[in-house]
Amino acid sequence: MQSTYKMNFTEELKKCVKCGTCRAHCPLFVEIKGEPGSPRGRLALIKQLHEGKIQPSKELAEIVYTCLLCKTCAVECPSGVISDEIILASRNYLNEVMDQPFIKGAILKGFLTRPGMLYACMTLAGLYQKVGLHSLLTKTKLYNLLPEKLNAATKIMPDVSKKPARSRIPTVTPAKGEKKFKVAYFIGCATNHIYPDVPVSGVEVLSQNGCEVVAVEGVKCCGMPHMAYGETDTAKELAKHNMEILLKDNYDAVICDCASCSSTFKEMYPHIFAEGTKEQEMAKTLAAKTFDISKFLVAKTGIKAGKKEQKIKVTYHDPCHLKRAQKVFKEPREVLKSIPGVEFVEMKNADRCCGSAGSFTVMHHDLSMKVLDKKIKGAQATKADFLATSCPTCTMQLSYGLKQAGSNAKVVHPVQLLAETYKD
Amino acid sequence: MDKVKLVNDMVKMFGAEKVLQSELERYTYTYDSSFASQQNEYYPDVVVRLESTSDVSKLMKYAWDNNVPVTPRGAGSGQTGGSVAMTGGIVLDLSGWKDIVEIDDANMQVVVRPGIVHAELNAALSPYGLFFPPDPGSSAMATVGGMVSNNASGLRAVKYGATFQYVLGVEVVLPNGDVMKTGGLKSKALKSVSGIDLTRIYCGAEGTLGVITEIRLKLLPKPQSRGIMLALFEKLEDSALTVLDVFKAGIIPSGIEILDDGGIRCANMFKPDLNIPEVEAAIFFEINGTKPAVEEEGAQVKAIAEKRAKSVEWATDADRMAKLWQGRAVIGAASARFKEGKTRIFAGEDVCFPISKVPEALKRIKAISKEFDIPVVIYGHIGDGNMHTAPIMDPLIPDEVTRTHKVAEAIHRLALEIGGSTTGEHGVGFARAAYMEEEHGKALDVMWAIKKAIDPKNIMNPGKIWKLGRE
Ligand SMILES: Cc1cc2nc3c(=O)[nH]c(=O)nc-3n(C[C@H](O)[C@H](O)[C@H](O)COP(=O)(O)OP(=O)(O)OC[C@H]3O[C@@H](n4cnc5c(N)ncnc54)[C@H](O)[C@@H]3O)c2cc1C
Repeated sequence: MQSTYKMNFTEELKKCVKCGTCRAHCPLFVEIKGEPGSPRGRLALIKQLHEGKIQPSKELAEIVYTCLLCKTCAVECPSGVISDEIILASRNYLNEVMDQPFIKGAILKGFLTRPGMLYACMTLAGLYQKVGLHSLLTKTKLYNLLPEKLNAATKIMPDVSKKPARSRIPTVTPAKGEKKFKVAYFIGCATNHIYPDVPVSGVEVLSQNGCEVVAVEGVKCCGMPHMAYGETDTAKELAKHNMEILLKDNYDAVICDCASCSSTFKEMYPHIFAEGTKEQEMAKTLAAKTFDISKFLVAKTGIKAGKKEQKIKVTYHDPCHLKRAQKVFKEPREVLKSIPGVEFVEMKNADRCCGSAGSFTVMHHDLSMKVLDKKIKGAQATKADFLATSCPTCTMQLSYGLKQAGSNAKVVHPVQLLAETYKD
Repeated sequence: MDKVKLVNDMVKMFGAEKVLQSELERYTYTYDSSFASQQNEYYPDVVVRLESTSDVSKLMKYAWDNNVPVTPRGAGSGQTGGSVAMTGGIVLDLSGWKDIVEIDDANMQVVVRPGIVHAELNAALSPYGLFFPPDPGSSAMATVGGMVSNNASGLRAVKYGATFQYVLGVEVVLPNGDVMKTGGLKSKALKSVSGIDLTRIYCGAEGTLGVITEIRLKLLPKPQSRGIMLALFEKLEDSALTVLDVFKAGIIPSGIEILDDGGIRCANMFKPDLNIPEVEAAIFFEINGTKPAVEEEGAQVKAIAEKRAKSVEWATDADRMAKLWQGRAVIGAASARFKEGKTRIFAGEDVCFPISKVPEALKRIKAISKEFDIPVVIYGHIGDGNMHTAPIMDPLIPDEVTRTHKVAEAIHRLALEIGGSTTGEHGVGFARAAYMEEEHGKALDVMWAIKKAIDPKNIMNPGKIWKLGRE
């Protein structure tokens, strides 16, 4: 079994001794229950596939795709099995040897009966179209499979945002006060179109803290959705394109406000290019330069909040791609705590996946909602006015969950609250 | 019986969502954590996930009428192949049945369904100031049904004993589908000697005598306070003598754990900042109870240990305790990552020696490891002689697999030779069935007679405890 995503299946799969520790931690397993829904079960089947004892099949693909890639099992595994990466690599393999008919089943089974999810789906499809990810939609047959009404809706292109962040941010924003760093700001697809206030706030916060910020133009999607659906070749093209642009000028750092984008740069790019190639060198350089915005503020600039008080209670949800992928969890909290007037409260299971996982929420709607339900209960118990998080797909999911639960709490990025302090 | 008919009947009886039938689904029930189960693929014909006594009873009646073997299964964290279906038939997955039926804090007991996980139960009991004391290393995944059936225990067994000491009664679906309750139909008593103790028979029966569908457990109040001591010994024998001296002083710590020199090296390699000096043995004592008692006993244990140890540190503040305990805490994971390209597997992993013979046993295990050229990391519960021996090997190299089997065999034989047991807490399953004759002699025949009385058709988990073909 060969995969473009670099993986020594034999060695990595051998490490799993089937102790079952992952059963205790997987947020999906508690909902699915039976062993095929456990990380241990998925790995056991991938091992069978790798050893040629079973063949690629729709059923296997469905099992392999029923994973949030939240990394919880990998982090908790006593034997150090990198299950999420094994899942990614095997999706990549399955994608190459199969025609993805399984996607169809997943879609039809899941969300279409839920009017509430129509919006999410339209947003996702609309977003993909808007940012030029037609190929993913076409290849995964998402387009063809959407029911007529929805298909039409996506073609009409829902207005996924009022005004994209890119059009609201100058290419270069000078540092306020002494200039300490010159940084590139990577505006990801989702924050650009769905939550444009996030990059706008991010740029403002960086500039207030001594950075000249270049909102780099011409960049494309980081490639995470493609990786998650096994479209590694497309992801590679995107990576090459983005690396060329982001490494062209010698920026001190590349800043992301989206946990998935930063983890793609830091974790995935170095994995998809062959050892010793020019691209892999570039990927390593980019990985070293990439920072989540909260991390950069805490580790590099120090946080200088503005004077305007925010008399609010705030809690924080850790995105999987930030906490487990990048071990960044203290920093967003420090950003929040630096805001004058903010009362910070920890929610129960703050680092438990919210169930969104990009398009998982669309493809496996029922399951995703069960995972979300637990999250929302934890958030509501804090009675916080704001649920902060650092990932747009988490934001989408959490906002949906809070609304369904009748809560008035708002989901924001930590830098949005920090940016408020600079306004008089 | 015709397999297609069996599957169809299960779907008809319980609904498709409760039945797993494809080859892929069934494959995921061919293993538990034992190396033995991963070397032999025993497929069930069908897996059924049930969550009610009436459904389990219906299933057992069907199995009885049609002579279909049934293997109950909890989390499949067992280390002996206990929950895999050696002769096909039905695997009955009970791990989804997690209800807490009643927390009776006034009477210090709880009634639960078999699928509840140990850690989940204790989390639910915590607000009542109560706990269910047996504490397996698999607390996060092991079900209480599996714990009762394997009579599990853990590193605090030295003070609190094993699961059986806390089981007040069980509801069992018998092989013919009848339902019985042990320990008194309405009893809330914490003690009872009324009749032959059937509850005890089900503790450690490994699913061979019926399906446990409800469990009434005795609870204890949570201790107020604890302290941790780490003592380092240049001579292995001194560590064992110190443990005996602590007992002789009338002190029962809640845990006494050992890492031998290999274990220390392994922990240091995994976490270099641990930096435990490379002595022959590190002993970790845990003492719990009321605050003054912990202080008092801690001081006494420290004085005893200082007579022989190279260094002793005693701590009661949370951070320092966590730091001292780290060496013990990481050993499971550390042994798994002992050597690049190698894997830690579970085989011959649970022998129990008389405590006076632990030093001799450890030396002989090292010799066995050397003889077959398979590294074995040793750690475990020296307080009760229960040692965990972790072979480190490559399962893809056939010769290493053969040598590992030999290591496990030799370790089991060593336990029997020096008056120990082949298993202190993990049970027999099929991985250790071959040693039962030698370990028990005539008693194994009597066990079989009991088994035949309750399960004359031998449909309950065949091949476990007794080798296949016993009938
Ligand atoms: C990393 C690790 C650490 C461990 N540490 C310890 C430890 O410290 N102490 C210890 O004692 N064990 C330990 N174990 C072994 C194992 O976790 C225990 O034996 C546990 O009790 C098994 O529970 P389970 O739910 O996984 O049962 P399973 O493995 O699913 O089943 C175990 C046996 O019980 C039977 N069974 C399960 N449920 C029922 C039921 N409802 N009715 C009838 N029969 C049933 C099965 O048929 C089987 O024979 C460890 C295992 C691992 C992987």
